[in-house]
Amino acid sequence: MIEIKNVSQSYGRKEAKKTLSDINLTIRENKITALVGANGAGKSTLLGVLSNITPILSGTVTLGGRDVRKIKTQDVAKKIAFLKQSQQMSIRITVGDLVEFGRFPHCRGRLGQEDKRKVDESLEYMNLPDLRSRYLDELSGGQRQRAFIAMILAQDTPYIFLDEPLNNLDIKYSVEMMKIIQNLVTERNKTIVLVLHDINFAAAYANHIVAMKNGQIVREGCVKDVIKKEVLNTVFDHDFHIAECGGKNVCLYFDQVQN
Amino acid sequence: MEIKVGKQRNVRLIAVFAVILPLFPAACALYIYSRTYAKSLRLGLEITPAEFSSIMSRAVPGLLGMSAAAILIALVSLSFQTITQSRILTPSMIGFDSLFIATQTVLVFAFSTTGGLFESPYINYFISAGVMLACSMVMYRFILQSSGNNVIYLLMFGLVLSGVLENGSRYLQLLMSNNDYYRVQAATNVTVNNMNTSLVFLALPALLIISVLILYRHRTYNVMSLGAEQSQSLGVFYAKELNLNLIFIALGMSLATALIGSLTFLGLLAVNVAREILKTHRHFPLFIGAAVLSALALILGQSAVELLQGAIPVTAIINLVGCSYMFYLILRENRI
Ligand SMILES: Nc1ncnc2c1ncn2[C@@H]1O[C@H](COP(=O)(O)OP(=O)(O)OP(=O)(O)O)[C@@H](O)[C@H]1O
Ligand SMILES: [Mg+2]
Repeated sequence: MIEIKNVSQSYGRKEAKKTLSDINLTIRENKITALVGANGAGKSTLLGVLSNITPILSGTVTLGGRDVRKIKTQDVAKKIAFLKQSQQMSIRITVGDLVEFGRFPHCRGRLGQEDKRKVDESLEYMNLPDLRSRYLDELSGGQRQRAFIAMILAQDTPYIFLDEPLNNLDIKYSVEMMKIIQNLVTERNKTIVLVLHDINFAAAYANHIVAMKNGQIVREGCVKDVIKKEVLNTVFDHDFHIAECGGKNVCLYFDQVQN
Repeated sequence: MEIKVGKQRNVRLIAVFAVILPLFPAACALYIYSRTYAKSLRLGLEITPAEFSSIMSRAVPGLLGMSAAAILIALVSLSFQTITQSRILTPSMIGFDSLFIATQTVLVFAFSTTGGLFESPYINYFISAGVMLACSMVMYRFILQSSGNNVIYLLMFGLVLSGVLENGSRYLQLLMSNNDYYRVQAATNVTVNNMNTSLVFLALPALLIISVLILYRHRTYNVMSLGAEQSQSLGVFYAKELNLNLIFIALGMSLATALIGSLTFLGLLAVNVAREILKTHRHFPLFIGAAVLSALALILGQSAVELLQGAIPVTAIINLVGCSYMFYLILRENRI
């Protein structure tokens, strides 16, 4: 179980404006939690804090009841996999090499039979075997995104945190990606937290939504509780129009739509 | 498909090493030849066995010192590039060399009256290494981390630091007695020809320890080249690895500089040529390849200088080639 209590974070000096202030959050097991909010709200920072990558000013983050800062980095990496928002590479590697990196927490780079099997399986799962020996810089943005997700899958952790996994994916692949994420929860009992920019994807696929603004959680709850006009209007400072379609809430946010 | 590609890659590595590894003894032989028979042919004199062994007693420590320095420079340059995520920066470019000169100057200046103690090359080395370590920690903490790993800041800081230190050293040298001035010159103007041979015996065990420690971590370096955050999420304790590497870099650079003086562009040249011909991201072959190429460049260069009767020093040649290569890399990569 991952729980954060009274967490504050700030990038520059202590007096500087806080990126996260007094956040309390319990990650729901075997569920998809979506973090939503405007640019700069602190979603990526929160995800980094949850995976013990971004240092915090105060508060605690606990993993299975223990303070993550007291757990060995390698052991945290066996529990939590984290995908950054943007992946710039200073090196030129193939898809296969990248996915093999996912096994690092388990084998420190010395791949055994089991590790190779996991790598093959993750490539298969993300429909990538044909691209295995292609270099990442020769792939389309969406193919590259899938390769990174395959690396995360190879890491084989109960918790998976994805910062904007739908980056660069077209509609078909976005839906496919969300289905894969759903399957990970139902078939493999994973717990997933992801940052989504398209509020409708959160509405359609998440079990739990956390809405952030200015480093604080404005509202969290199930889809029906958060995908509401008054909530979204404050979170995004924008006028939303909520429509119903097949029993689900759909948000319309174009200026042309009149309420 | 994958197996084929994997094989092709290994074939490339084997082929490259099959070419460059035998070149190393060949380069050593050429160097010895250049210092013995080439000279005797030129002067038209016979070499007696006694003369030969007396030359050898200077040439062999020279070879060892050159190899040790070149290998250290290559290893720490590659690890530096991996932790800074840069393909162009090397420790010498951010002022490590000037730091060495400044430390030596200050040591002589401050202790000219007490003397003695700091003239032991070992104590002197450890003090310089300590100063370089402290400075690299400070630079890393305050410059790189506060600017989000922005290497441009580091480069600019290094540039300013070099300027300040060089001028400061020069000023102190003006204030010194002639005697002290010559001592500073002797400690800082080391070149391949007047190598500090007493340090060679410190260099060899240090080289061994540093290279074992670095090579042992080659898989960790592979992951670290994905960047700080991604490698941390893959289980690398990044802060610890970073500090460890700063120690390796300070120890390695101070030793190499004390041995053969300032060689700004050797690391850049060796590491990037190794990348270019090995075409891999794996650090194990890269470390070995860069180390061999670095030693080859220095020894072959020095042999050429001997054969050409020392028209220009080898450091000048390497810096010229390395500097042009750096321009090429900046233009090609379009980044630093
Ligand atoms: N490395 C950093 N150094 C300094 N400030 C940072 C850093 N990363 C983020 N910030 C600041 O912290 C705040 C929160 O950033 P964060 O990346 O968490 O936002 P976000 O919600 O993920 O936004 P986006 O939707 O644009 O990804 C922003 O004001 C940002 O400018
Ligand atoms: Mg973000």
